[in-house]
Amino acid sequence: MKKRAHLFYAQLGLTLLTCLFLVVPVVQSILAGVTKNYFRGVKSGLTLKWIFKVWELYRDTIFTSIFIGVACLAITLIIGVPAAYFMVKKKSRFTRLMEEFLVIPLAIPGLAIALAILISYGQFTSFRKSWIIILIGHVVFTLPFMIRSVIAIMSAINLKDLEEGAASLGGEFWNRFFHIIIPNSMPGILAGSLMVFTLSIGEFNLTWMLHTPFTKTLPVGLADSYASMRLEIGSAYTIVFFFMIIPLLLAMQWIAKPKKSTAINADELKDMPMKPQQTKPAANPSVNAPKANRKKDSTSIHLRNCGKTFPDGSRALEPIDLDIDPGQTVVILGPSGCGKTTTLRIIAGLENPDEGGKVLFGDDDVTDIPIEKRNVGMVFQSYALFPNMNVAENIAYGLKIRGDSKEKREGRVNEMLSMMQLEEFKNRKIDQLSGGQRQRVALARAIAVRPRVLLLDEPLTALDAKLRDSLRIEIDMLLKSVGITAVYVTHDQGEAMALGDKIVVMDHGRIAMSGSPRDVYFNPENHFVADFIGTLNTIESEVKDRMLTLPSGKIPLNGIKHLESKTEGPVKLFFRPEHTKIVDPGLGHLKGNVVSSFFMGDKTSLVVDVQSAELIKIEAQGIQKFTNGDRIELKLDLNHLFTF
Amino acid sequence: MHGRNRFYLVATIMPAVTFFVAFFVLPMARLAVESTFGPEGIGIYLKMLTTQRYLETLFWTVLLSFGVTLVTLVISGISGVFLQRNDFPGKSILVAMLTFPLAFPGVVVGFMIILLVGRQGIVGDISRAITGEKLVLAYSMMGLSLGYLYFSIPRVVTTVMAAAEKIDLSLEEAARSLGASTWDVVKDVLIPALTPGLISSGAICFATSMGAFGTAFTLATDIDVLPIVIYTEFTLSANIAMASALSILLGLITWGALTLARTAAGESLAAAA
Ligand SMILES: Nc1ncnc2c1ncn2[C@@H]1O[C@H](COP(=O)(O)OP(=O)(O)OP(=O)(O)O)[C@@H](O)[C@H]1O
Ligand SMILES: [Mg+2]
Repeated sequence: MKKRAHLFYAQLGLTLLTCLFLVVPVVQSILAGVTKNYFRGVKSGLTLKWIFKVWELYRDTIFTSIFIGVACLAITLIIGVPAAYFMVKKKSRFTRLMEEFLVIPLAIPGLAIALAILISYGQFTSFRKSWIIILIGHVVFTLPFMIRSVIAIMSAINLKDLEEGAASLGGEFWNRFFHIIIPNSMPGILAGSLMVFTLSIGEFNLTWMLHTPFTKTLPVGLADSYASMRLEIGSAYTIVFFFMIIPLLLAMQWIAKPKKSTAINADELKDMPMKPQQTKPAANPSVNAPKANRKKDSTSIHLRNCGKTFPDGSRALEPIDLDIDPGQTVVILGPSGCGKTTTLRIIAGLENPDEGGKVLFGDDDVTDIPIEKRNVGMVFQSYALFPNMNVAENIAYGLKIRGDSKEKREGRVNEMLSMMQLEEFKNRKIDQLSGGQRQRVALARAIAVRPRVLLLDEPLTALDAKLRDSLRIEIDMLLKSVGITAVYVTHDQGEAMALGDKIVVMDHGRIAMSGSPRDVYFNPENHFVADFIGTLNTIESEVKDRMLTLPSGKIPLNGIKHLESKTEGPVKLFFRPEHTKIVDPGLGHLKGNVVSSFFMGDKTSLVVDVQSAELIKIEAQGIQKFTNGDRIELKLDLNHLFTF
Repeated sequence: MHGRNRFYLVATIMPAVTFFVAFFVLPMARLAVESTFGPEGIGIYLKMLTTQRYLETLFWTVLLSFGVTLVTLVISGISGVFLQRNDFPGKSILVAMLTFPLAFPGVVVGFMIILLVGRQGIVGDISRAITGEKLVLAYSMMGLSLGYLYFSIPRVVTTVMAAAEKIDLSLEEAARSLGASTWDVVKDVLIPALTPGLISSGAICFATSMGAFGTAFTLATDIDVLPIVIYTEFTLSANIAMASALSILLGLITWGALTLARTAAGESLAAAA
């Protein structure tokens, strides 16, 4: 411990020494600026006359500097913020080149830049003589600082999601830019502004080369006074400079400090009373028009030959056709990377299908219509709620774009709030909501604008299992009562079965099968679908003389639903766990040994070795008990045997 | 992306691009061309690299900047980590003191050095009281180095503090739990974690020192450093070609240093600064 203490004091000592080095001359200059005669020291008396003298001599430089600083700030804001937006949004070779340029104010000495500007534009005398040439120099020097500061914040917020969220609600480019992008980038813009202004006020290297006797800025004046005036005046002038930059520095520090977030921490959120949604239908019928009434507003969706190849050459989607009836809820289901999101984004208008693809809403060809004009409601996996707005403002955003009056908006917002049971959160900021509450705000926001179709991309994936269940029920009831055409993307087969009127199973950018949940489960068209949904067992067998060979003996093919047309030869048979029964010896189709058993409460899962290629999984009632090695016999439900 | 939106998106970048091309790219190109317009033509670069005065200036400027960078990194590295890791009364005042000079223009820094070690400097007064001899460093290479340190330390301290804040404390705790001594922790955990930040802020520090005009302008009455030589070539000798050529050399060196650091640190300087 003793050694640690030594170390501490050694470091403290070094730090103090450094501080002295930096601060002593500052104190000296302040003293010198208010001392009558610095050579004789403070005992000669204190005075403000040097400060007044400076004001008299150099007043103009102060105003020039402030003026140029403000103008420089204005220009860097106007051209820098959009540029930062472009560079965050569009990652291309051109952007990388631009990023290279951002290092320039550090890399190229101001002197060289000033020289270059002088040589190029110095011959225009009126320009050369004006303060504008200084301003230009300052902008070249400070613009990258503004752009970088804004880029930093724009990369930190989820710009893409927020913008797509706004577009899905109908926000057009400039609306998104000014109402979503700018407000959410405010901290970066503010930090960049202070930086630019401070840099411009203190800029000397360029300015010294570019100034004329009539366009002196503060640092140029300082250099003048240091060279040609008595020390007291130089010092007094420096005091003036300190007083100008101190507020700027304080403001910068204040911005840089991590704000104590108003967010309630996660644990608190968990305990927040959640209304018992399960007991009461979330969608209140009195608030919503009956389904039949709504149905005529909702539209069918048709994809024709929609493929998607990304610019990097990766083929996310083979050309597919898909038809969705009005009011239907279609669930797109499939493993990760199979193209679900891509399909949804094509429907939404966030991606264009490859050449030849067509998206139709009813009879309207919307292929070339951008998302903000398609009138779709979209719920994003990340929710894409606007952090700069509270709950009510988020819900009202799309309505505002549609030009609804204030009263109308308020009415609809309240309607949505009560429908989603969010009344008490009306004025909360988004970061003060729990995951489930955010989810419901996102739904409310999407539905508020009465979209033609509702698109949901894995809306529940970010939530914990319990919340997922209750929200799934809520969403189900909501979709049924609103009667809107909905496309719901998930990789969770339980969710798909529960919600879908129709399930579209995707695999490697293709539609593997589409049909009702029951169809998909009981009559899968191919092995992928059968295997992806539910559990599938495989045994090897043979068809010979129109008979199926099973270990227990031969069974005629006639009457076995999926096998009747099977040709002769070896065959793989597939069946689900629930289509087997454990039976008394002599009555089963298969014999085997229990390899392992898991008691799961309501049932017992068994893994059984039936001397085929693979072990098979079956289920027994929970009450039954098995030990490994037990010999059991299984009877298959022949109507649920598949072969592909 | 649909047509109109693409048009708007292009509209967001056009003003910045236009400005940069008009007032940076073209003038820099002009500067490069101008450097060959002297009587020597392209031979100016040969002359630059064979004239002893320029070579000496270059040597001293690089040496000065490099030395200052090393000292700055050591001092700011220690102080930065120290301030980030320890809590004691008055700490925020120390931090404020260390970062206050961040916004000083070079001329003010020069003036600070004059007040510190100039003819009426406090160091001189103290040294006279002790040894009877007045210590005046301000107008020498030493004074210039102090000036460069003065504007470099605050910048690097801020970066180090930010980098130290991001270091995962559990890494150090893990090292301790495995029996590492304080020095081992510094060597094996702290310094490696700080290295990218130190490299990039060191490179920025070097580049700024190479091009520092204001400080040198106030102090370097007798010393030739590159920016001062460029300035005198341009204003006093009206040797525009040589001034341009030297500017290009200076730009190439600083750009090269930054690019090298960027590859070494493996991250964008834009993020570090
Ligand atoms: N912008 C893009 N550029 C290049 N490839 C992409 C892009 N977006 C998606 N892909 C690729 O397209 C394929 C399909 O992606 P998609 O996002 O549609 O999958 P998904 O089914 O939604 O998967 P997940 O369940 O993981 O969300 C993937 O292989 C993915 O890597
Ligand atoms: Mg996806």
